[in-house]
Amino acid sequence: MEDALLRIAGWMPALLQATVITAKLTVISVSVALVLGFFLAIGKISSNPLISKPASAYVFLFRGTPLLIQLLFIYYVLPELFPVFDLKDPLMAAYVAFSLNVAAYLAEIIRAAIQSIDKGQMEAARSLGLTHGQAMRLVIIPQSYRRMIPPICNEFVMVLKDTSIVAIISLPDLAFKTSQIAATKSSQLVYLPAAAIYLVLTAGFTILFNWLEKKFSLYE
Amino acid sequence: MAIIRAVNIHKKFATVEAVRNVSLTVEQGEVIAVVGPSGSGKSTFLRCINGLETITDGEIYIDEELLEKRTHGRAHVHLSKEDRTRILLKTGMVFQRFNLFPHKTALENVMLAPVNVKNESRVAAAQKARSLLEKVGLGDKLGEYPARLSGGQQQRVAIARALAMEPEIMLFDEPTSALDPELVEDVLHVMIDLAKSGMTMLVVTHEMGFAREAADRVVFMAEGEVVEVAPPEVFFKSPESPRAQQFMRSILQQG
Repeated sequence: MEDALLRIAGWMPALLQATVITAKLTVISVSVALVLGFFLAIGKISSNPLISKPASAYVFLFRGTPLLIQLLFIYYVLPELFPVFDLKDPLMAAYVAFSLNVAAYLAEIIRAAIQSIDKGQMEAARSLGLTHGQAMRLVIIPQSYRRMIPPICNEFVMVLKDTSIVAIISLPDLAFKTSQIAATKSSQLVYLPAAAIYLVLTAGFTILFNWLEKKFSLYE
Repeated sequence: MAIIRAVNIHKKFATVEAVRNVSLTVEQGEVIAVVGPSGSGKSTFLRCINGLETITDGEIYIDEELLEKRTHGRAHVHLSKEDRTRILLKTGMVFQRFNLFPHKTALENVMLAPVNVKNESRVAAAQKARSLLEKVGLGDKLGEYPARLSGGQQQRVAIARALAMEPEIMLFDEPTSALDPELVEDVLHVMIDLAKSGMTMLVVTHEMGFAREAADRVVFMAEGEVVEVAPPEVFFKSPESPRAQQFMRSILQQG
């Protein structure tokens, strides 16, 4: 037992280094995806088919194909077709693939939250002379924040664990590093601290989002 | 001068004709109560006047400006967005379910449109909002969110919110129907005060007490049509049409 603890302690520097990649990939991708997803959601709601149709097509494409294939496509296939798109850095390719993919899921979450706001809110806003845009910006969207926070938290936690697929482009994230250690030191024990690190990260996100949810629920 | 002139209004939904050939003129300073059984098209008619529903046929003038003219759904007037908003802002709307903005305090609810639509300064808008909320008896609730107010208080904030845009006419869509009985009185009180202050009002209501006390004319609707128009003292004592007589009987039985 004591020996096991010592061995785990010895792996920690390498694991924590890999954790930085996992955490950075999750936080940056989801953050970019939030911005992109917001515009996609607004696009999907738009009454103009020139805006709503492409937005729907985007969501269909990125939800309808495996993330793994999207990642490989961006890292290997795209540069082969168009050398200008060669990202060279696998981390950069992972940022792009995850951002684009997660945006499609977040678009649906954000759209559903916006459309769940009572119709009477838009009617009241319009009857007071607000334009459609003002009504969305000042009345509808601010109320939708609280409703989208729990599913966004869920998405965050899923992405955190999905990042493990970056092993396919040899990006040394936490899962990849862990399996490397398991193989070279021929000890499966390393999965224990790895799981614990994922749990700690998940706990961090959950605490942050619970706080956000409270902050946006003050008026209820 | 007529504030509202609705001429031969029809409103068809997919299969039902909710409003059939309704004409109504509301003169400045007049208070009109629209009564009738549920599903008689009175709320739909009211919502047509301020553009929340699009009429199928007819003409709507607000302050003698043509807002809408349609035949078989086809529009004959094409106003710019600015003109349409300018005309519609002459009407203020109070909803059955209040529709206060839950993420804004009472004061912010009342200030929102003056600041964002009329570009009033926040200071001026807040001052006006405060005095309006005091007028409806909520001077001590300025900083409260709607969730912390009773239904009657919420509806009074909604009245203040509509008044803040200084409309020529106030439209009320069953303003007390969603309230607990003991809260109805406070809202009616505010409405009666408003009527006495000379505000032009078109009120769809089930509150016969209000109609009797404050209305200049009672409009009785049934099955999408205006069946009878009479001063309240005449309508409540001796309604002419059999349909209105039947309606009055059923009201009396309930009450």
